[in-house]
Amino acid sequence: MSAQAGAIRLDSRLRATARSEWIKFRSVRSGPFALVATALIVVVGAWLLGAGNRNSAAASPASQAAFDPVFTVLQGIELAQLFVGALGVITVTGEYSSGLIRGTFVATPQRAQVLAMKALVFAAVAWACCTALSFAAFFLGQSVLSPAKHVGIGDPGVLTAVLGGGLYLTFVGLLGLFIGVLVRRTPAALAALFGLLAVLPIALILFKGTIASQLGEYLPGNAGEQAFHLLPGGAYTLGRWPGLGVLAAYVAAAAVAAFTLIRRRDA
Amino acid sequence: MSHPIAASAGPASPAAYRRAGAALATEWIKLRSLRSMLLTPLLGAVAFIGLADGTVRNNAAGWAHLDAAQRAQFDPVDINFNFVTLGILLFGVLGALVATNEYGSGLIRTTLAATPQRGLVLAAKAVLAALVALALAIVIIFTAFFTGQGILSSAHAPHVSLGDPGVLGHLLGTVYYMTAAGLIGLFTGVLVRSAAAAITAMFGLLLVLPVLADRIPQDAVWRHTVPYLPSNLGDEMWHSHARSLPSPGIAVLGLAAWVLVLAAAAAFSLRGRDA
Repeated sequence: MSAQAGAIRLDSRLRATARSEWIKFRSVRSGPFALVATALIVVVGAWLLGAGNRNSAAASPASQAAFDPVFTVLQGIELAQLFVGALGVITVTGEYSSGLIRGTFVATPQRAQVLAMKALVFAAVAWACCTALSFAAFFLGQSVLSPAKHVGIGDPGVLTAVLGGGLYLTFVGLLGLFIGVLVRRTPAALAALFGLLAVLPIALILFKGTIASQLGEYLPGNAGEQAFHLLPGGAYTLGRWPGLGVLAAYVAAAAVAAFTLIRRRDA
Repeated sequence: MSHPIAASAGPASPAAYRRAGAALATEWIKLRSLRSMLLTPLLGAVAFIGLADGTVRNNAAGWAHLDAAQRAQFDPVDINFNFVTLGILLFGVLGALVATNEYGSGLIRTTLAATPQRGLVLAAKAVLAALVALALAIVIIFTAFFTGQGILSSAHAPHVSLGDPGVLGHLLGTVYYMTAAGLIGLFTGVLVRSAAAAITAMFGLLLVLPVLADRIPQDAVWRHTVPYLPSNLGDEMWHSHARSLPSPGIAVLGLAAWVLVLAAAAAFSLRGRDA
């Protein structure tokens, strides 16, 4: 960089920040570990779920019609989201617990830009991996399902549902990342994220009542999961794009809070 | 309570019971001085007793409007204890944190230098974690039971008392399940050593995996695997409608097997690996 003091251009700083975020991301062992766990769960899950549901051909016509061959084989995402979300969390909290964050902010005092590049690098990697996994799970699952009701990638709505699986996981990871910025400690951030994704939905079902079921509709996991449903079904009814929109709104809210706090708080 | 063991014993090794006592004392100091070990159980207990009572209250309010078939299905114990599905996480996660906190801070290296008998360190940790989990489970389960049944009886819905057949067994079984979950968390924490991995594993194993597995049609393979997941074994403890196992005794043994296998793996890993 030939820049003079104070005259570093924005784009070259962003590029340098993105590169340093990428180095940090790929040199931490937890990254590959979490992505391999995600891959195993999504792909093996598609095989198990497809094989388990293969005999649905014998079911009644009504349950045949309601059977969703895309969601059935992509459900492994519900377990895999814990690993993608945890990766998002420790991408941030790992840097706080090792103290590296102070070095980062000394090198790049433009904290908002650091966070933006961190989120961008994470989102790019997570989206690429999770979309590839979503497609792999889809094709494997349909081939295992094939004596029973199954669909091709060209059938109406199928391609967007499979892409929705990758998008859902990416949003969950980003939600974890921004919660990590807010909470800064790994166990607390994981508890907050998993509480939203996995605990609250069940707590609301236990509670019963109309208020609880309306709240359940707008929890990030319940809403966002409809992105990889082919048919409307299950307990929640927002639909694909509104559902994904609700999840995106959670991510946006967490991002606004994270960008505000990261500039105000001492690292 | 510092025993002058190391100083006075010289080259001869101290008596085994004194060493065990010292290891227990050490682990106790570490356990009670963790900030998260005071506040989290307290908040968790309040939250889960609140969840239990809220669930019972909503069900009791609906009692008058149920038809005969629904009334036949109304089970005061199940309604009182379905919060255990979530409450079990408190035990798994706290157990995991007991182990991973020490790895996170690096204290584990000092611990193992001071007590090179690594099996003894693990045993002391497990004994204390089990005792703490047992006490916490007793408080949560019995408070939830007495308040929950009180709410049911004041709403004139069916309710049971401690002396009714099978009720005490459900309560003690659930306490046992929670204690076992604490130990499963602890040993998993020793195995994976990172808080993030251990917490994720607990949520996956105890909460998400059984929900997913339930959606697979129940064929022969399913019947020989899924009921043996720890959370499904635990369900046998509090749920009155037996699911797929011949008897609750098998669930008790199954949970013990999970704990023992993980304990052996953790001991093997702790002795074999560099800290």
